[in-house]
Amino acid sequence: MDDKFDCIIVGGGIAGLSAALTLARSNMKFLLVERGEFSGAKNVSGGVLWGSRLADLVPDYWQEEAGFERYVRHRRLTFLDDQSAFSIDFKSDHFNEQPYKGLIVLRSKFDNWLAGKVEEAIAESSYPEDSFIATNILVDTIIMESGRAVGIRTGEEEFHADVVIIAEGVNNLLTRQVGLQDNYVPADYMATGVKEIIRFDQNVLEDRFQLDGNSGLTNEFIGFASDGVEGGGFLYTNKDSVSIGLVLNLKSMRENLSQDRKVYDILSHFKSHSAVKDMLRGGEVVEYSAHVVSTGDQRALPRELYTDGVLLAGESANLLLNSGKAIQGMDYAMESGILAAETVAEAKAKGDFSKNTLKEYRKKLDDSYVMKDLRNFQSAVQFLHSHEMFTSVPKVVNEFGRSFFTVDNKPTPKTPAMLKDAVSKHSSLWNMIKLGIKGARSL
Amino acid sequence: MKKMSIAERLGTVSYVNQGLSEAKPHILVETDICNTKCDHKCTTYVCPANCYTLDEIGHVHFQFEDCIECGTCMYACDKGAVSWSYPDPERGRGVKWNFG
Repeated sequence: MDDKFDCIIVGGGIAGLSAALTLARSNMKFLLVERGEFSGAKNVSGGVLWGSRLADLVPDYWQEEAGFERYVRHRRLTFLDDQSAFSIDFKSDHFNEQPYKGLIVLRSKFDNWLAGKVEEAIAESSYPEDSFIATNILVDTIIMESGRAVGIRTGEEEFHADVVIIAEGVNNLLTRQVGLQDNYVPADYMATGVKEIIRFDQNVLEDRFQLDGNSGLTNEFIGFASDGVEGGGFLYTNKDSVSIGLVLNLKSMRENLSQDRKVYDILSHFKSHSAVKDMLRGGEVVEYSAHVVSTGDQRALPRELYTDGVLLAGESANLLLNSGKAIQGMDYAMESGILAAETVAEAKAKGDFSKNTLKEYRKKLDDSYVMKDLRNFQSAVQFLHSHEMFTSVPKVVNEFGRSFFTVDNKPTPKTPAMLKDAVSKHSSLWNMIKLGIKGARSL
Repeated sequence: MKKMSIAERLGTVSYVNQGLSEAKPHILVETDICNTKCDHKCTTYVCPANCYTLDEIGHVHFQFEDCIECGTCMYACDKGAVSWSYPDPERGRGVKWNFG
C-alpha cells in the first residue's frame, strides 16, 4: 500500500460510500474502512431513502437488479386510537416516474450493493490499484499532529491521508474524540428505533398491500403506536417482507417506560392494534433490530462539521430531519457524503487541506437543501414533538372519524358539531386552535 | 401473530464470533454507580436487547453478549456508568444484520 492516501473515509454506510464513489470518479486515492464484515452488516434504518440523488451516483440504477426493495408509490399517514385507524392516503402514478423519489431499502443489502458500485468505480479510475475498501477494521483513533488530523490508527496499524471523512454513524465516537461533539450526548434529542422484518409469501404481500411490480407502500402511525411515549410507528413494504417499527424519543422512554413496560413491549403493543394485526397476519418475524437515531432537533448537531483535516458526513453529524412529511436521514447522508468528497477533491487541486479550505464543505452544505430544510423545519420538529400530537390529536381524529363514518337510524348531527364534540371529549378547543396555528406555521 | 418474547426476538439476530469462548466486552458498566447513585436505572427498561437486568434486590446486572450495538444505553445513562465502544471485529461480539 502507498504511504499516504488523499483521503480516508471512516465508515461504509451511505455517507461513506457516496463520498467514495465521488472520490473514485475524481481520480483520488482513498481508503474506506468499514468495521462490519461487509458494508451494511452493521447498519439499520427504517428505511426509506428519499429523493433522487442516487440516480446521479448510479445512473439508470432501476434498469439493473439494484439493491433496493421497492420504490415508493403509495403513502399513508395513520392516526390510531385504541380501536380505530384514520388515514390520510395518497397513491399516484407520478411516483412511477424514474428516477424514483423514494426507495424502500434494507441496509444490509443496499449498502452492500452500493459498495459494489464503489469497487467498480475504483476499477475504472486512474488509480485502480491505490484505492481500497477494507472491511472488518475498527478505527480506534484519529491521528492528530499539531492539531490536525493526518490519519487513522487501528490496532497496531496506522494509515495516513491528507484528510479524513468521518462517516461513522450516529454513535459518533470519533467525532467526539476530535472534539466536534461533547463526550456525553444527552438523551433529549436522540431516539431509539426498534424494528422487525416480517416475511410473507410475495404474492400475499403484493395482494394485501395492493403493490404492482416493484411499487411499495410507506405508512407512518401516530397515537396508539407509541403508547404515550413521544414518537411514532412505521411500516414499509419490502420485496417479500415488511419493516415495521417504532422510533421513540430516548428521554421520553426514560420517563415513561418501566420494568413492566419495556421498549420492546411497546412494539408488541403497536402490533396488537387490530388495524395493524390485519396487515401482519400470517407473517413470520425473521429479524429483530434496533438502532439509535437523532431526532432532527438542531440542538443535537455537532459544534461544527469540519476541523483541520476532518469532515463529518451523515449521521456522524446528526444530519436527520423528521418534518412530518418524511423522515430524512439517508438522503442527507448521501448529499453530505458527496459534498464532503467534492470539497476534498477541490482541496487536493489547490494543494491546501487546511481548515480554511475545508470550511467550503460547510458552505456547500449550508447552500444545499439539507441545511436549508433542517433550519426551516425546526418548528415542525418541535410541533411534531408536542405532547398533544401523539396523545390527544389521534384520539380527536378517530373520535371524529367514528361519528362521521357511522350511519345509523337516528338524526345525524352536522359535521362541525361532530368535530366540536370530538375535540371536547379528548382536548379543548383552545388547545386545538393553538396546535393548529403552530402546525400551519411550521409545515 | 403470537406475541414474541425478547428471547425469541433476539433468536432472530445473527452475531459474529459466536464460537469465541471468551469474547472481549465492548461496553463496560460500572454497576456500582447504577446501584448507589441512580434513581431510575432506566437501562433496565430502555435497552432493546435486555442486556441490563434487575435482580430481586433491585441491583443492576449487565451482559454484553446479546448487545445489538444500537447505542441506546450510551445516551440513556445520565450518571456516567456506561463506557461504550464498538466491538473488536476479531475478538469481540456484535451483530451481523441479514436485513438491517
